[in-house]
Amino acid sequence: MRLQVIQQRKLWWGISLAILVAGIISMLISWKTIGAPLRPSLDFVGGTRLELPIACPDPKNCKADVLNLEVIRKVLDEQGLGGSSVQIVEAQGNKPPAVSIRSSSLDAGQREKLQKTLTEKIGAFDMARSSSETVGPTMGKQLFTSGLLALLVSFAGIALYLSFRFQWDYAVFAIVALLHDVLITVGIFSILGLAFGIEVDSLFIVALLTIVGFSVNDTVVIYDRVREVLAVDPSRSINDVVDDAVNQTLGRSINTTMTTLLTLTSIFIFGGETLKFFALALIIGFAMGAYSSIFIASTLLAWWRNRSGSLVVPVVVGE
Amino acid sequence: MARQRWLLGFIISLTAAALFLLLNPILKSGTSPFRLGLDLQGGSQITLQVKPSDTIKDISSPEGQKAVGDVERVIADRVNRLGVSEPLVQRVGNDKILVQLAGIKDPYEAESLLGRAAQLEFREQKAGTEDKFQALFNQYRPLINQETALRKQIKELKKPEDRATLAALSIELKKVSQQSFTELFNKTGIDGRNLKEAFAQPLGSAGDDWQVDIRFDAEGGLKFADMTKRLAGTGRSIGVFLDDTLISAPNVGIEFAQNGITGGGASISRFTLDTANELAIQFKSGSLPVPIEIAENRVVGASLGQDSVQRSVYAGLGGIFLVLVFMVLYYRLPGAIASVALVIYALLNLAAFVLLPGFVLTLPGIAGFILSVGMAVDANVLIFERTREEIRDGKTLYQSVKGGFTNAFSSILDSNVTTIIACAALYWLGTGLVRGFAVTLTMGVLISMFTALTCSRTLLFYVLSIPALRKPEFFCPNPPAITASQSSEVV
Repeated sequence: MRLQVIQQRKLWWGISLAILVAGIISMLISWKTIGAPLRPSLDFVGGTRLELPIACPDPKNCKADVLNLEVIRKVLDEQGLGGSSVQIVEAQGNKPPAVSIRSSSLDAGQREKLQKTLTEKIGAFDMARSSSETVGPTMGKQLFTSGLLALLVSFAGIALYLSFRFQWDYAVFAIVALLHDVLITVGIFSILGLAFGIEVDSLFIVALLTIVGFSVNDTVVIYDRVREVLAVDPSRSINDVVDDAVNQTLGRSINTTMTTLLTLTSIFIFGGETLKFFALALIIGFAMGAYSSIFIASTLLAWWRNRSGSLVVPVVVGE
Repeated sequence: MARQRWLLGFIISLTAAALFLLLNPILKSGTSPFRLGLDLQGGSQITLQVKPSDTIKDISSPEGQKAVGDVERVIADRVNRLGVSEPLVQRVGNDKILVQLAGIKDPYEAESLLGRAAQLEFREQKAGTEDKFQALFNQYRPLINQETALRKQIKELKKPEDRATLAALSIELKKVSQQSFTELFNKTGIDGRNLKEAFAQPLGSAGDDWQVDIRFDAEGGLKFADMTKRLAGTGRSIGVFLDDTLISAPNVGIEFAQNGITGGGASISRFTLDTANELAIQFKSGSLPVPIEIAENRVVGASLGQDSVQRSVYAGLGGIFLVLVFMVLYYRLPGAIASVALVIYALLNLAAFVLLPGFVLTLPGIAGFILSVGMAVDANVLIFERTREEIRDGKTLYQSVKGGFTNAFSSILDSNVTTIIACAALYWLGTGLVRGFAVTLTMGVLISMFTALTCSRTLLFYVLSIPALRKPEFFCPNPPAITASQSSEVV
């Protein structure tokens, strides 16, 4: 199998553009309806999330129907928490079915009162498997700004390193490919947020940064090969060189991505709630990273070098 | 060859050491060799945000930072009273304090205690309880002294086992106070909010005797004068309660019977330097220099944490197993060797978790580790793909393997450096959980470079020295036929 990446570049660029545009449209719709491009979790907007699993001695025989949404909503209304969202979480592993309540920020006393009233109305909860999170409104803003800053810093760091190791145009297109991966991941999560109510939390930012660190690897390996082939025969056309480089490294690109996706899929399936969507973000990002390295970063570099002519490309000291 | 033998021996002993480190605590006491984060063992994690006050407007200024330092000490003191075995109090950024309380029974109590501004109270001993109090207090006083000594010892020696003793002692003190002393005292409404300052001061010039000077605000000063007027010369005490625990019971001299202790200040005398300092700190812990607010609070039930550990371990083993199978099926003999190198990698990496000081394993940390296993494969894949290319080019097996390692190095280096750059940004951004992830990933990258370049290489060349295994088809499907003459052409 030999990929003609250069010849079919319009197709690859078109596919990427389509997914990007879909993501951006989704973010715009999401902005209109919920006031943010992605559905933010507690980590960003603050509030309290309480998850109370019902106590049941026999985990295989739990009666989830005691978790009556109407009763719970009534309790919330009485305590002035009418705007809260309530969800019934199905049993998972050893954890019995649970009620998950997300409300405005509650302090310890308010939480205890709510839990007490719920216990009176519904029955005992399994406190050893319960969890609660309360995040103040200032934390979210800090998380957002420091997350954005960290993304920018890592972009800059990687660009700097690549222009030092390669040449500045390599670095620019590697960054374009990275932006592509990050934007598509964000776009898909925006769509998931609209369609299934999936939220992004602080781990999502971690996932984005990890995607940045990893998916540049594929690009680097391909660029490394381009540089190597060019060094052997500088007179070859850049289109040929890039096609060769992509095909020679294709086995590695696919295998590495596959092994990483294998472990991620394993986390996605067995890893439990906290890590599920973290793994999903990484799966999307890494898959996109491999795609953009093979089809986007390479073809963009060839396109640019053709356009500008190889003579005018400035050579960085140390090359 | 001698160098290879030496390396092989080195790798084997390193692996054995890692295995010992990991298995020893499990076999000996059945405990995890890792320090587990709160998300894995259950507990409460509270982030306190220090807010500017009227007098300290800028937290990042030197005075602000001093105030944050004071708050941190006060919080540490309060945490010690909670009776948690290994609490963690840590400054995060310049205006936040992170408190981790593992395995805490009552997270609600913890939150209200830590977030509360004042639990210091000055109570008045009831009339007619003098004898009863004296008898009880004589038994109680050694406990207080013991606690003070322990506190000092912990500050100096930082021994964790003392912490457990102190926690037990604090609980005991509180229990006795609540059972015996609460009923002997009346509340006066003077508490930590009324206290403006407390500091240790030498008494006279001898130097051995110290006193604690305290200053009240206007309202506190008036109430204090009232109370001391009633108590002066009666032999009854002022009960100084911190968080319901009696920490001091000074008497008021007869000379104050007329007006009480006026002027908004008082001195409690006859201490050694240490006890006076300790008491001043405890007084202050009832009143913080700057307001604090609970910015974040996460509580994870103990069993929930255990479930997460179990699931993560399954996910990890499942993922690693799949990767190993893939490597053997696709890359054949080198794949099998890489699998051995991967297992060594996993062991070394886990051992590094145990050795790294202050490292706490969290759920994202486990994800980082599992992820790094997938990543560790990358270096091997790069090398083996290169080796196959060289074989297809008609080089000898030995030359091909050697060329595979040499040519793949620049790609391996570049890709790992970029990952580390992103990890550095993550570490810099992150708190708690996020940092754990960045650290595990960085360590994974570094150790995987070592195992790929050293373990895989040494093992592979060792295997190549066994004639029966020196067959190109073990390395690459359908290799070209190699003749002896070709090998000499290759550089």
